[in-house]
Amino acid sequence: MEATVSSCKVVEGGGGSSRSRSQFSMQFISNLTDLQELEEVYGRLCAEQNDAESQLEMLVNQQSSIENKMTVLQRMGPNLQLIEGDAEQLSGMISFTCNLAENVSSKVRQLDLAKNRLYQAIQRADDILDLKFCMDGVQTALKNEDYEQAAAHIHRYLSLDKSVIELSRQGKEGSIIDANLNLLQDAEQRLKVIVAEKFSVATKEGDLPQVERFFKIFPLLGLHEEGLSKFSEYLCQQVANKAEENLLLALGTDLSDRRAAVIFADTLTLLFEGIARIVETHQPIVETFYGPGRLFTLIQHLQVECDRQVDKVVDKFIQQRGYHRKFQQVQNSMMRMSATDKIEPRELDPILAEVALMNARSELYLRFIKRRISSDFEVGDSMASEEVRQEHQKSLDNLLNHCLLSRTMQEVIGYYITMEEYFMRETVNKAVTMDTCEKGQLTSSMVDDVFYIVKKCIGRALSGSSIDCLCAMINHSTTVLESDFREVLCNKLRMGFPATTFQDFQRGVTSAVNIMHSSLQQGKFDTKGIESMDEAKLSFLVSLNNVEVCSENIMTLKKTLENDCTKLFSQGFGGEQAHAKIDSCLTDLASVSNKFRDLLQEGLGELNTTAVKPQVKPWINIFLSVSHNIEEEEFNDYEANDPWVQQFIINLEQLMAEFKTGLSPVIYDNLTSLMTSLIAIELEKVVLKSTFSRLGGLQFDKELRSLVAYLTTVTTWTIRDKFARLSQMATILNLERVTEILDYWGPNSGPLTWRLTPAEVRQVLALRMDFRSEDIKRLRL
Amino acid sequence: MSMEDYDFLFKIVLIGNAGVGKTCLVRRFTQGLFPPGQGATIGVDFMIKTVEIKGEKVKLQIWDTAGQERFRSITQSYYRSANALILTYDISCEESFRCLPEWLREIEQYANSKVITVLVGNKIDLAEKREVSQQRAEEFAETQNMYYLETSAKESDNVEKLFLDLARRLISEARQNTLANSAASPLPGEGKSIGYLNCCNFN
Repeated sequence: MEATVSSCKVVEGGGGSSRSRSQFSMQFISNLTDLQELEEVYGRLCAEQNDAESQLEMLVNQQSSIENKMTVLQRMGPNLQLIEGDAEQLSGMISFTCNLAENVSSKVRQLDLAKNRLYQAIQRADDILDLKFCMDGVQTALKNEDYEQAAAHIHRYLSLDKSVIELSRQGKEGSIIDANLNLLQDAEQRLKVIVAEKFSVATKEGDLPQVERFFKIFPLLGLHEEGLSKFSEYLCQQVANKAEENLLLALGTDLSDRRAAVIFADTLTLLFEGIARIVETHQPIVETFYGPGRLFTLIQHLQVECDRQVDKVVDKFIQQRGYHRKFQQVQNSMMRMSATDKIEPRELDPILAEVALMNARSELYLRFIKRRISSDFEVGDSMASEEVRQEHQKSLDNLLNHCLLSRTMQEVIGYYITMEEYFMRETVNKAVTMDTCEKGQLTSSMVDDVFYIVKKCIGRALSGSSIDCLCAMINHSTTVLESDFREVLCNKLRMGFPATTFQDFQRGVTSAVNIMHSSLQQGKFDTKGIESMDEAKLSFLVSLNNVEVCSENIMTLKKTLENDCTKLFSQGFGGEQAHAKIDSCLTDLASVSNKFRDLLQEGLGELNTTAVKPQVKPWINIFLSVSHNIEEEEFNDYEANDPWVQQFIINLEQLMAEFKTGLSPVIYDNLTSLMTSLIAIELEKVVLKSTFSRLGGLQFDKELRSLVAYLTTVTTWTIRDKFARLSQMATILNLERVTEILDYWGPNSGPLTWRLTPAEVRQVLALRMDFRSEDIKRLRL
Repeated sequence: MSMEDYDFLFKIVLIGNAGVGKTCLVRRFTQGLFPPGQGATIGVDFMIKTVEIKGEKVKLQIWDTAGQERFRSITQSYYRSANALILTYDISCEESFRCLPEWLREIEQYANSKVITVLVGNKIDLAEKREVSQQRAEEFAETQNMYYLETSAKESDNVEKLFLDLARRLISEARQNTLANSAASPLPGEGKSIGYLNCCNFN
C-alpha cells in the first residue's frame, strides 16, 4: 500500500509541479475499495483542502498590495519613455563633442608642427644670416685688424650646424654662398696664421698684453692645445731667463754673504716662487678662455722648463759644494773605519742643512701645483665619469712622482740620508769620547749631547718634509741609540761597581769625599781613564743615571716627534700611508726606551749584589756575636751601650750616603728598596741562628723597631711589609710562656695575618732557651 | 696587557732590483689584486695583513721597498728591524739574478744576524721567457743558506705559500728565542737583539 502511494506520487510529480493539485488522482480514488484506505485518503484530501484554503486566503490578502504596485508601475510607464528619449539625446551630444575635440586637437598639433618648423626656419634663416654676417664681418674685421672680432665671427661660424651650411649651399644663391664660404674658410686659415705670427712676434718682443691678447684668441679658433702650448713656451722662456739670471747671481755670491751657505736652496726657491706666481697670475685667463681642466696642460709644459732649470741648479750645487765628493768620502770613511782621512762630520753640517732646505722647498712647490691642478680637475670633472676622474688623478700623480724635479730630489735625499747617518754616528761617537761629568751633576755630558745630536738630525730630516727621509733617520737613530750608544753604557756598567770589603769601607768613603772635594775645586773630573776605585764607583753610578735619563729622553723624543709629525700632516704633507709609516718607526724607537729600562734594572741588581750585599752581610752577622740570652744586668748594660743596631744604622747611613748623592732619586729609591729586602732576608737568617732569653727577645724587639724606624725614614716604599716576618718573630720571642702564642694564633689572631708557618713558629719558639721543647711540641697550631 | 688583537707581530721587508714584482707580490697577498701597469715604488710602502696560523693571530707588517738605486739609503734603514727579508728577482731577467750577490752584501751589512732570508723567483707565468733555470736558482739559494720559492704574482702562484710559510718559520724562531731567553736571563748588557715583539712585551 505504501509502495503504491509513493509510486503514484512519483508519477504525479513527473507530470506537473503545481502544488494546488491533489496528490491523489480521481482514478486512483475510484479504484479504492478498502474502507480504511479510503478513510486514509479522505483524511489526506481533507488536509490538502485545508492547505489549499489557507494558501488561497494568503493570496487574497496579497491582492491589495499587488494592485498598489501595479498602479505605481502603470504610472511610471510614460516617465520611462521620457528617460529613453533623454538618454538617446545625451549619447548624441557626447559623440558630437568627442568629434569636435578630436578635430580641434589635430588642428593644434598641426599648429605646433607648423610653429616648430617656423622656428627652425627662423633659426636656419638666422644661421644663414649669421653666416653671411660672419662672412662680411670677418672681412671687415680682418681689414680693421680687429682680430678679436674676426675670431668671434670664426667662432660663430665654427659653432654653426654644418647642415645649415649645406642647406644654404643648396639654396638659389648657392653659388654665391659657396664662394662666400670659401672666403670664410680662407679667412679662418688666414686668421690662424696671423694669430700665430702675431703671437710669436709678441712673445719675441716680450709684449705681455699682446701675448695675452692672442692667447685669448686661440680657443675661439678651436686651437686650445696649440694656444696653451705656445703660451707655455712663452712662459717657459721667461722662467728660463729669470732662472739663468738667478743662477748667475747665486754663483757670484760672496762667501761672506748671510745666505751664502744656502744660496742654492735660495735659487731653487726663487725658481719655484716664480713658477707659482706665473700659475697664480695666468690661471684666471686659462680658466675663463679655455675652460676648467686645462691648467694641467699648462703646468705640464711649465714643469718641463722647471725640471730643466732645477737640473742646472742642482748640477751647480753638486759641483760647487762637492756633494758627490763628500758623499764618496763619507762612504769610504764608513767602510774603512780608520781614524785617518775620515771626513770631519762638522764639514757636512752646512751642506746637510742646505739639502734639507732644498727638499723642503721642492715639496712645498709640488704640493702647491698638486693643489692647484686637483681643484681645477675637480671643477672640470664635476660631470665626468669615475674613469675620467681616475685617469686625471693618475696623470697628476705621474707628473708629480716622476718629474725630473722629484727624481733629482730623491737622488739628492738618497745621498743626504747616508751623510746624515754618518754625521749622527760620528758626532755621537765624539760626544762619547769627550764625555765629562760636571760636579754635582748626576749624569755625564754625553747623554745630553747624544740626544741633542739625535734630535738635531731627526729635526733636520723633518724640516726637509720628506716622509721617507724622516722615517729613515728615525730608523737610523733607533739603531744608533739601541746598538751604539746602549753598547757604550753597557760596557761602562759591565766594568762593575768595585767590591769593597768592610775594612776598606771607611777609607773608601773618605776618599770618595776627597774626590768630590778635589773635583769641586777643578770644576769637573774625567771619567775616561778609570784609575782609582773611587772613580770607577762614580763612573758606575753616573752610568746608571745616564741609562735612566736615556730611557726617559727616548719617550720624550717620541712624543715630540709625534706632535711635529701631526703638524706636518695637518699641512697636507705625506701620502695616505705616511702616518702608518711614521707610527711604526716611532714605535720601534720607543721600544728602545724599554731596553734602557731593562739595562737599568740589571745595573741596579749588579750594584746591590756587588756593593751593598758584601758590606751589609758582615754588619748583620755581628748580631750573632751579641748574646741575646741575657739577664737583667746585661739588658740594662745594652740599654746604656747599644751592642749592635745603632752601629749598624750608622754604617748603613754612611753606605747609602754615597749612593744618595750619586744617584738620581728614582734610582736611589730603587736601590734602597733592594737593600731593605736584602736586610730583611739576612737578618732573618741570623735571628734563626741565635738563642734568646725573655729579655733577649725584648732586646731584639727594641733593635728591630729602631731598624724599621730608620729604614722608614730613608725610603718612600713601605717597608713594614718586608719586615712583617721579622716583627712576628720578635713577637714570638717576646712571649711570657709558650702557650701565650695561642692568644695570637688562629681564631685569636685578629687583624694580624701570620707570615710564619706553624713549623716556623715552633722553630722560633725553640730559640727561646727558657721554653721547654715538650711544651712547644704539645702546642696545637 | 696590550689591546692589540694579535699574538705575534713580524716585520717583513721585500728587496730586490727594480721591476721584479715586489709591489705586485705584496698587493697580491694583502689585497688579492694584480694591478697592471704598476708604477715604480717611491721610497717605501707599508701594508699590514693579519693571518691566522694554528689558531694564533699573526700580524704581518710588510714593507715594500723601491728597487731603484736612488732609494737605497732609505730602504737600508729598514733592514735592521726586519724579522724576515724577501729577496726577489725576476726569472725572466738574468740581470736581476746576477745582482743577488750585491743584495746579499747589503743584507750582511745592515740586517741583524738572526734575520730569515727567503729567495723568491717571481714571474713564473712568463715561462717561455725564462732566463734563470730553477736548478741554478736552487743551487744558489742553497749555497747562501736561503729558502727558495718560485712565484707568480699575476697567476697568484705560491704567493700565499710564500708568506704563510714565512710566518710559520718566524713563529717557531720566536718560540725558540723565548725559550732560550727564559732559560738563561741575559747578562747585563746582553739585551735581546732580536726585534720581535709579542703581545706580552709590546706596549
